Amino acid sequence: MSDPEASRPFIEAANPTHPSLLDPKHQLDALFGVVNIPNVIWIDEAGTIVRPPEPGWPPGDDYPDWLREFLDGRDEAVEKKAAEIEAADPELAARMRGGQDRDAYPDAIRDWARKGSDSAFAMSPEQVLEASADRGIDKSEGAAHFELANHLWTAGERESAISHFNEAHRLQPDNWTYKRQAWSLVGNEEAGGGEMGRFNQGPLPGAEDDWPFAGNFVAESSATPAGDYYPATM
Amino acid sequence: MITTTPEISADEFASGTGWEIKPEGACKGDVCVPLPDGYSATHAAERLGMAVVRDDASGLIAFGPESLSGRALVSAQAPEVVLPDLSGNEFRLSSLRGKKVVVVAWAPY
Repeated sequence: MSDPEASRPFIEAANPTHPSLLDPKHQLDALFGVVNIPNVIWIDEAGTIVRPPEPGWPPGDDYPDWLREFLDGRDEAVEKKAAEIEAADPELAARMRGGQDRDAYPDAIRDWARKGSDSAFAMSPEQVLEASADRGIDKSEGAAHFELANHLWTAGERESAISHFNEAHRLQPDNWTYKRQAWSLVGNEEAGGGEMGRFNQGPLPGAEDDWPFAGNFVAESSATPAGDYYPATM
Repeated sequence: MITTTPEISADEFASGTGWEIKPEGACKGDVCVPLPDGYSATHAAERLGMAVVRDDASGLIAFGPESLSGRALVSAQAPEVVLPDLSGNEFRLSSLRGKKVVVVAWAPY
């Protein structure tokens, strides 16, 4: 739901030769089952999906300087925490490393680009359907609430929007996109907007009672093993 | 799909949900689901496992995505996606047929 200006610096810095599109209404969720970012979908020449949405990363981390600085501080803290966990509970540490092998992902794409359907990474249509996200009627209902929430927020109906966001979160507890969109909107308000406002996805110290959602990014992501936040798919 | 009434035409249903209404039923990719009672948006939604949620204060109605197969994808045939670029120009995913495509979803937060 961000303004296009939120994406512009990233797209202009990368200056890609491929199309860069905006999806303010989260259509990729309803159409493909994208429930977190980054998520990657492979589609062959005939328009057949050969890998459904899954976490995937580019090689290296070519971030703008300001984001690199922001992440460097955080990476150190994350590494220190990981070393503590490793020392205290090796089994838990192993579980936290259960996420995807990030460096291998671009190589898997190259393998498919070369070999097409002979690539070991290309799935059959049946495998694609089976590997796509679970969706029962409760999740459809969650998606309907999320769409209402986005629409009402944009229309300035803040309180109604928040109540639909909360329903969406209850019905789709594993959908990080639904959570982070809502947390980011309210977190940005709390931070008073600005360049970094939308990265604030939880209550400011002392304002916990005013936070209108059951969770927030720091609390939920730190309580979620890496293998659950980014499920391993290869 | 957001509407103000559940009484929407088959064309509106198709553009909002990606499910075309044909003589054999509601169809997407290589899948068709029969509509024994004929077309109405609420009947099609029921057959496709789409939740219909109403916001009483605004009167708005949202149709959730299909859930009939228990999975987000009912067909491996990629659905059409039409989204704007930074300049507002619409781009159609189907314009890339004939090439391999890697779609990357990301967010600037």
